[in-house]
Amino acid sequence: MADLAIEVAELKKTYRTPFRRKKVEALRGVSFSVAKNQIFGFVGPNGAGKTTTIRTLMGLIRPTSGTAKLLGHAIPSRLARTRIGFLPEAPYFYDYLTVGELLDLAGRLFGLDATTRKQRADRLIERVGLDRARAQSLKKFSKGMLQRAGLAQALMNDPDLVVLDEPMSGLDPSGRKEVRDLILELRDQGKTVFFSTHILSDVEAITDRVAIVARGVLVGEGTPAELVNRHILGIDVVVRVPREADAELTAAPAGITRIRRLGDELGCTLPADTDVEAWLARAHDQGAKVVQVVPRHETLEDLFLRRTSDPAPGEPPAVAS
Amino acid sequence: MIGRIWAIALNTFREAARIRVLYGILVLVVGANLLALVLGEMAVHDESRVARDIGLAGISLFGSLTAIFLGVFLLYTEVQRRTIHAIVSKPIERWEFVVGKYLGMALVLSVLVVVFGLAMGGMLLWQGGGVTAAVGKALILSWFEVLVVAALAIFFSSFSTPFLSGIFALALWVIGRVTPDIERATQAASPAISAVTKVVLRIVPDLHLFSVSGRSLDGNAVSVHGDFVPWSYVGLASLHGIGWIVWLLAFAAVLFHRRDFV
Ligand SMILES: Nc1ncnc2c1ncn2[C@@H]1O[C@H](COP(=O)(O)OP(=O)(O)OP(=O)(O)O)[C@@H](O)[C@H]1O
Ligand SMILES: [Mg+2]
Repeated sequence: MADLAIEVAELKKTYRTPFRRKKVEALRGVSFSVAKNQIFGFVGPNGAGKTTTIRTLMGLIRPTSGTAKLLGHAIPSRLARTRIGFLPEAPYFYDYLTVGELLDLAGRLFGLDATTRKQRADRLIERVGLDRARAQSLKKFSKGMLQRAGLAQALMNDPDLVVLDEPMSGLDPSGRKEVRDLILELRDQGKTVFFSTHILSDVEAITDRVAIVARGVLVGEGTPAELVNRHILGIDVVVRVPREADAELTAAPAGITRIRRLGDELGCTLPADTDVEAWLARAHDQGAKVVQVVPRHETLEDLFLRRTSDPAPGEPPAVAS
Repeated sequence: MIGRIWAIALNTFREAARIRVLYGILVLVVGANLLALVLGEMAVHDESRVARDIGLAGISLFGSLTAIFLGVFLLYTEVQRRTIHAIVSKPIERWEFVVGKYLGMALVLSVLVVVFGLAMGGMLLWQGGGVTAAVGKALILSWFEVLVVAALAIFFSSFSTPFLSGIFALALWVIGRVTPDIERATQAASPAISAVTKVVLRIVPDLHLFSVSGRSLDGNAVSVHGDFVPWSYVGLASLHGIGWIVWLLAFAAVLFHRRDFV
């Protein structure tokens, strides 16, 4: 379908270590699709298969079975790659080049003429904040600077689809914010952004859709809201009350959790079905002042931890043959 | 396509130009020429004879060793350091990458051969002996030898580690150079052995074609000091070398195409 940027169907990849006769089933049938002009987050714990999926999409490795299409072209497609920008995981580039030279090389491989290469390189170097590092060779770049150079080289062809493997890794909080802003800007320009991460706050902040992968299979897919807002887990309350009242207030209802005392404040989490008004009235009788009442929704992190620690369906990922 | 291959070739040239060992080799070869100068002085007659022999042997030996060194490392380090990830994910075919890598290497080796040749020519002129056409022809043949050896090394490194590739390439370089001697030696043996040897030698690049001085060709003795091969021989040998390069690169590209970059 023309409005899909990425279509992945039953992708499987088994790594074989020669000599050791050991097989690793890194992908065990991954299917998902990414609509155009979306920000799609691909999340999962270490070793889940994110990088393997991305390398397969970019034609670096061949899938054992399954199919994938990028911008309507079956992989590997040179034609599709002219419209795609890619940031590899923990990128490493020719360290004797300056960032300008790296971008020029990228531009040549994208078939751009000299003027366009120069213009885009200048603009992108500024955009990713490497203006002051222009004269340095990449060898002297910090991890975060390399990540920025990597983002810039991925955007040299003004791509329709941007594939980023852990774009925020190695960046400090302000760097992460800048990358988040850049990703949002790319979507506003009409591009599709597909990125992997395990920083869940970034996913919640900017993605339109999320897929959660664990042990080589998808364990959840949807909008961040769809995935997490289905139920309230409990109600966080904090009241200012003398210590003597603790026993009476936490005696009921049953299922009260996370009881904690912070100076003159008592905090706890009431079960989702508690009559909060009644509980607060009881607290009031003990001379309590309400500090905070917040319904606790499931966060992406809760969901992530729950989904990715489920026992794996099917076989374990590593089997000796 | 040409633009992309050229971009890879230029980048490879830059990469190789940063390898310090290459400058060490340059110094070595120039040193060998100086040594030849000294030895030539000591020779009873025809001092330029020694100079020519040592000069040409130096080019062939050091050129080929450099070719093997570059061939087994340059492709391998791209995969090892993952610099290749940001390259082959661009709209470039893998064979274009292999060819670009080879051309960059060939460029470096050509510069090296030219410098070697200049050093040798300078030395010959210093001695008062002329730079004969035979020396020119021998230089061109050495140049093609080096280019074929580079392709051989790339071929092995497209599927093997630098260590193994280096050993394979070195072995084939030696065998390729002494093919006629092996053939002669096995002629005396049983027909079966000599037939097997013939078949085996067919798959080894005929590098002996490029170092003909001191051999006999079609019954005539050939020497850079006297009767050397005609230009037509140089042309044919070069074409033969290009044939080998194309074959080796084609195989390298096919093998490289099938690889996973992880
Ligand atoms: N070259 C390889 N050979 C064998 N197994 C591999 C290879 N590369 C990855 N694996 C295995 O494949 C699985 C998936 O790895 P992958 O790198 O795709 O995970 P990931 O989700 O990107 O993890 P991370 O968050 O750590 O980057 C892991 O079990 C890993 O050990
Ligand atoms: Mg990864």
